[in-house]
Amino acid sequence: MNTAPAPSRSELKTDQLFVNLGPQHPSTHGVLRVGLTIEGEIIVKAEPDIGYLHRGIEKLCETRSYGQCIVLSDRLDYCSAMTNNLAFCLAAEKLLGVHAPQRADALRVAMCELQRIASHLILLGTYGIDIGAFTPFLYAFREREMVMDLFEMVSGARLTYNYIRIGGVRADVDAQWVARTREFLEYFKPRLDEYDTLLSYNPIFIDRTRGVGVISAEKAADYGLSGPNLRASGPAYDARRAEPHCGYEKYPFDVITAESGDCWDRYHCRVREMRQSVRILEAVLDGLPGGEILAKVPKIVKPAPGESYAHVEGARGDLGVYLVSDGGPNPFRAHVRAPSFLNLSILQEIFLGQRMADAIAILGSLDIVLGEVDR
Amino acid sequence: MSETEKTPSSSAAKSAALLPEPVFTEGPWVLLPHRAWPTEMWASPWKLPRYRRGAMMLAGLLLLGTGAALLIGEIAPWADMLHARLMLAMATFGLPPPAVMCVWGALQIALLIGIFILAPVVIVWWERKISAHIQSRFGPMRTGGFHGWLQTAADGLKLLLKENITPQHADSWVHRLAPAVALVPALVAFAPVSFGQELSAADIDIGTLYIFAMTGVSVLGIMMAGWASANKYSLLGGLRSAAQLVSYELPRTFAVVPVLMFAGSLNLSQIVAAQQGYWGEGYGFALLPRWFIFYPVVGQLSFIIFLIASIAETNRTPFDIPEAESELVSGFHTEYSGIKFSLFFMAEYGAMLLSCLLMASFFLGGGSAPLPFLRFIPSWAWFLSKAVVLVFCFLWFRWTFPRMRVDRLMDFCWKFLLPWSFANIAFAGLYLLL
Amino acid sequence: MNDSNYFKTIWTASVNTLKGLYVTWRYLFKPAITVQYPEEKLAPYPAFRGTLLFDAKTCIACGLCAKACPSECITLESRKDGAGKRVPKPEWYALDLGKCNYCGLCEEACPTKPRSVWHSLDYEVAFSERSEMLRCWKSDTPFLGEIWDPKAKKLKKPKTHLQVQSVPARRMP
Repeated sequence: MNTAPAPSRSELKTDQLFVNLGPQHPSTHGVLRVGLTIEGEIIVKAEPDIGYLHRGIEKLCETRSYGQCIVLSDRLDYCSAMTNNLAFCLAAEKLLGVHAPQRADALRVAMCELQRIASHLILLGTYGIDIGAFTPFLYAFREREMVMDLFEMVSGARLTYNYIRIGGVRADVDAQWVARTREFLEYFKPRLDEYDTLLSYNPIFIDRTRGVGVISAEKAADYGLSGPNLRASGPAYDARRAEPHCGYEKYPFDVITAESGDCWDRYHCRVREMRQSVRILEAVLDGLPGGEILAKVPKIVKPAPGESYAHVEGARGDLGVYLVSDGGPNPFRAHVRAPSFLNLSILQEIFLGQRMADAIAILGSLDIVLGEVDR
Repeated sequence: MSETEKTPSSSAAKSAALLPEPVFTEGPWVLLPHRAWPTEMWASPWKLPRYRRGAMMLAGLLLLGTGAALLIGEIAPWADMLHARLMLAMATFGLPPPAVMCVWGALQIALLIGIFILAPVVIVWWERKISAHIQSRFGPMRTGGFHGWLQTAADGLKLLLKENITPQHADSWVHRLAPAVALVPALVAFAPVSFGQELSAADIDIGTLYIFAMTGVSVLGIMMAGWASANKYSLLGGLRSAAQLVSYELPRTFAVVPVLMFAGSLNLSQIVAAQQGYWGEGYGFALLPRWFIFYPVVGQLSFIIFLIASIAETNRTPFDIPEAESELVSGFHTEYSGIKFSLFFMAEYGAMLLSCLLMASFFLGGGSAPLPFLRFIPSWAWFLSKAVVLVFCFLWFRWTFPRMRVDRLMDFCWKFLLPWSFANIAFAGLYLLL
Repeated sequence: MNDSNYFKTIWTASVNTLKGLYVTWRYLFKPAITVQYPEEKLAPYPAFRGTLLFDAKTCIACGLCAKACPSECITLESRKDGAGKRVPKPEWYALDLGKCNYCGLCEEACPTKPRSVWHSLDYEVAFSERSEMLRCWKSDTPFLGEIWDPKAKKLKKPKTHLQVQSVPARRMP
C-alpha cells in the first residue's frame, strides 16, 4: 500500500488510516458506507459500499401485477415518489399503447413539480445541517409540510402516494385544491429569497462549498451523472426538454445550468430549479384542461409481449424504468435506471485529494437517496 | 374531553349508522379539525389566543424583572448593615477582623459559585427556547409545567445518574482531572468582574490580566481530555480545539488593549468608571453614554473583534468544529459521560457568560445606564441586562450560521482578525494623540 | 493585493451576515406552527388513507380485496350454508395490519356499495405485541375488529385506536 518514494528530509512518512464513513452517521443520507483511506487529512482512496437498503424491489415486481408494482415504485426514491410512479406508468403505457388524457397529463405535471419542490427542500435542509446550519432544515420541512398536505388532500398519503396510475391519475382535484396550491405558491416564492439570504449567500457557507468537489463537464458525462449534478457542470440536458413527456413542451421553464460544477453550484442549481417548478405549476394551474382523468385501461393489465423504456426528469436526475412483458399480468422484468446509483459512482474519483471535512460537503451536494441506489 | 365534528349533511342519519362506535385513547385531548397553515397563522398572528398569551407572558416577565431589580435595589444597603452586624457578631465571639473578612469572602464566593452553577441551567433553557422559536416551534413545554423550565434540571439529573465510564487504556488520573482543570479556571476568572458599583468579589488592580490568564489555563483541561481518552480521533479533536482556543486568545486580548489605553488601568472597576458620564452633558443634554463601543471606529472594531474571538473561545458555532456531531473526527469530550461531561458543558456556558460579562464591562459601560433619567434602575440590573442581550447574540449566531472549516477558521484568526486588531491599536493610539 | 476587492469582500460578507441574522430575527416573533401532540391531535383530510376497517354485514366475501393487495395481508373465508354451498357472507375475515402498506388497492377493488373494507381516518394504532397486529372479524364483530390473544385463547377488543370521525368514514364511489 505504501508506494511512497524514499522520504526526503522535508517529507514525513505518515501512516495511512482506514476510516468508515457510515453506515450509521448523522450526515450520510441513508445507509451508505464509504471506506476511506486517509493520509493525514487527505483522502487517498474511497470505496462506496451499498446494499444496506436492498429490498429486492425489481424482483418483487415480477410477482405482482402492474397496478401493484406502482405501490412498490413509490418506495424506490422515497423522497420523490410521484416521479417514480410516473416513470413506471409511462413505461407500462408504452407497452399498452395507451395515452393518458390531457387533464391527467396536466395533473401529472403538477404533481411532479410539487414533488420536485418537496425533494429539493429536503436537500436544502439536510445540506444545511451537514454544513452546520441547523435552522434552514426546519424552515424547509415547514414548507414541505404544506406540500405534503396538498398531496394528502388529493391522494390520501403523505409520502407514498400510489396516485399516478396506468392511463392517468387516481383522483381528480377540485377548485379548493387549486386554490390551496396557489396559496402555497404565493407563500413559497418569498421563502426562496429567504433561503438564499440565510444559506446560499452566507459567507461561511460559500467558504465551505465554493471550489470544493469540482466535477468537470467531461467527467460528469463520463460517469453518467444526470439532473442538477450534471447541469451544474455545464451541459444543459434535461429530460423534460430533451424528450418531453406529459405535455412538458407546453409549459415555460428554464433549464438551470452553472459553470464551475462545485458543491455550491450543485446546491444552488436545485434552489433555482425550485423557482422554475413554481413557474411550471402556475402555468399548469392557469391552464388546467377539463376532461377525464383516467383513460380506458382494462382492469387486469396484460400488455402484449415486448419491452419498453420510459424516462422522466426526477428530482435527482434522469429516472428510467425498463419493462419487459411476456403477455402475462405481471411484468417479466422491471429494471429501474436510478439516477442516484450512477451519481454515487463518481465518489470514488471525486473524493481523491479532498480533505475529510470536505467529504461530507461533497456527499451532501450529490443528493443521493439510498432507496434508489439499493432498490 | 374530545371534540368531534359531525357532517351536517342530509345523509347524516345514514352516515351515523355507518360510523363505527368510538374507542378513544386515554387522557384529555382535543382534535384540531382545521389544519392551519403558516399562511393563515402569520397573516394575523394576534388572532391566535396562544400568541396573545405568549406576548403577555413576555411583557409580564420583563415588568417582573424590572420590579424585582428595583425592589432588590431598595434593600441593597442592607448588605452594608449585614456586614456591620457580622463584624459585631464576630467581635462578640472574640474573633479578629480578618476572620470576618474570611466569612464575608466565603459568602461572596458562595454567591459567585451559585451564579456560575445557575447560569448554564438558565442559559441552556433559554437557548432551547430561542432556537425553537427561531425554527417556528416551541421547545421544552412539559417538564415543570410552565414552558419546561425544569428541563435543564431534568437533563442534569439524567447526566448525574449516568454511568461514569473511564476507558480502559486511558490515563485514569488525567481523565478524571481534565474536566476540573477546564472548569475551575473559568469559575475563578469570575472574581474580578464588577457587577455594579462596588460589587466585585475581588477588586484587584490587574483584573483584566488575571481573567485572561485564567481562561488560558482551561485550554490545558481540553488538551488533557483529548490525551486521556486513548482515542486517536478524540486526541485529534482535542488538539484541534486547543489550537483554536490558543489562536483566538491573541485577537481577543489585543482587542482589549485600546480599552486599556483609554481607561488607563487594568482594574475592571476603573475601566467601568472611565465609561461613566455622557457626551453632550457640557451642553446641557446627554446625547450618548461614554461607553467605549461608541468611540469612533476604535470602539466598534474592538467590540466586533472581541465578540468574534469570544465566540471562537467558547467553541460556539460558527467555530464549533470540536463539538460538531456531523463531522467525522469526534471532539475531545466523546469519551466522557455523566457528571464529567456536564462539567465540560458547564465550563463552556460559564465561559460564555464570562465573555458576555466582560464585553458588558469593557465596551458597554458595566453598570451605567444608557440615559441619565434611567438611573433609578440599579447598576447591577443594567449590567446583567447588557450581559443578557449579549448572551442572546451568542445564541442567535449559533442558530443562524453554518460551521467554518478548521483551516479556514485558523486562517480567519491569523490572517484577518489579528492584523486588524493590531491596526485597531494603531487607531487607538492615533485617537489618543488627537 | 487588490485593495478595493478586499474591502468590498469584507463589506459584502458583513452585509450578507447581517441579512441572514435579520431573517432569523423575524421568525423569532412569528407564532410557532407546531402542535402539542398528545393534547392536540391533527385531523387528517377526508382522502387520507389510515387504518383499515371492515364491515362484516355488507361484505359478500368475493375475495377481490385479497387478490388486489400487494402485500397479501387479507385472508377470508366465505360462509357455507347447510348443504355446503357458498353463501355471499364472510365466515371470518383477517387483516394483518403489520403487512398493510396503506396503498388503498383493496378499498378500490371492493364492489359493494358502501364499501366493506376501507381506509378510515385513524392513524393512531399502536401495538405492544406482534399478535395484536392481526385483526379478526366474524359475522357480528364491529368495525374495529378484534385481536386474538394467544395466551388467553380468545378474542379481545383493541385498546389503543384513535377514532377520528370528522367526515363519513366510508368513501362512496
